[in-house]
Amino acid sequence: MKILINNKQTETETKSLSELAAELNLPERGVAVAVSNKMVPRTEWEGTLLTEGANVVIIKAACGG
Amino acid sequence: MIQFISHYTEQYSYLDSIRLALLGGCRWIQLRVKGASDEDVLPMALEAQKMCKEHGATFIIDDRVDMVKAIGADGVHLGKNDMPVAEARRILGKDFIIGGTANTFEDVRKHYQDGANYIGCGPFRFTTTKEKLSPILGLEGYMDIVLKMKEEKIDIPIVAIGGITADDIPAIMQTGVTGIAISGTVLRAESPVDEMKRLLEIVNNSSK
Repeated sequence: MKILINNKQTETETKSLSELAAELNLPERGVAVAVSNKMVPRTEWEGTLLTEGANVVIIKAACGG
Repeated sequence: MIQFISHYTEQYSYLDSIRLALLGGCRWIQLRVKGASDEDVLPMALEAQKMCKEHGATFIIDDRVDMVKAIGADGVHLGKNDMPVAEARRILGKDFIIGGTANTFEDVRKHYQDGANYIGCGPFRFTTTKEKLSPILGLEGYMDIVLKMKEEKIDIPIVAIGGITADDIPAIMQTGVTGIAISGTVLRAESPVDEMKRLLEIVNNSSK
């Protein structure tokens, strides 16, 4: 499915935020993530499901992505 | 998304303001204590960090790069008169979030090239929170900057800042910014916790 990551259309098969974080190799620290404009604490990544067109914003320290 | 920037009134301390913002559901906090020594700010930073951890919130400190590194905060926010972003990046390495204040698209591009991870862009309008102010941006200013960011593929989040109240949020979000930074307007409300809840709801319902 296609989702938006920082306004960029991205193809992913991941179903949850935790899976997406693993796919993107998000580091253990220095990351803040919002889905549909809502900040999601790391503890809730696993329970946060992604659907077609989801709008994900990632603020992360390491450049790129 | 909303970044709450600590503030104080006669009624609430800096730490109270952060506590109220967290209770209202905000999960992105900036500890900003201007004109105080690191010695005075350190205990506040540790307490704020603890509260943020309890709520799973991202914790940013304004200006104090060495303190951010020392206590392992999530990141630092650098204003126009603070340390340059590139220098902070050299000190902090790649594991910390760095945000930079921008007033123009040129500022945004410079911060991006220097390694900033998000932009605080403003001021939207005149405000009493900050003493030194750059020219106000208004809605057109944000539209212009967001468009130029797209053209140059600068994909870091940008939050609008500066005198923003609940009524302004829908129109500002329509310009395509990622989020809003809020300070004084929350504490001035009768119930800051409820006001933060309301602001978050408005932001969530007005994404572009």
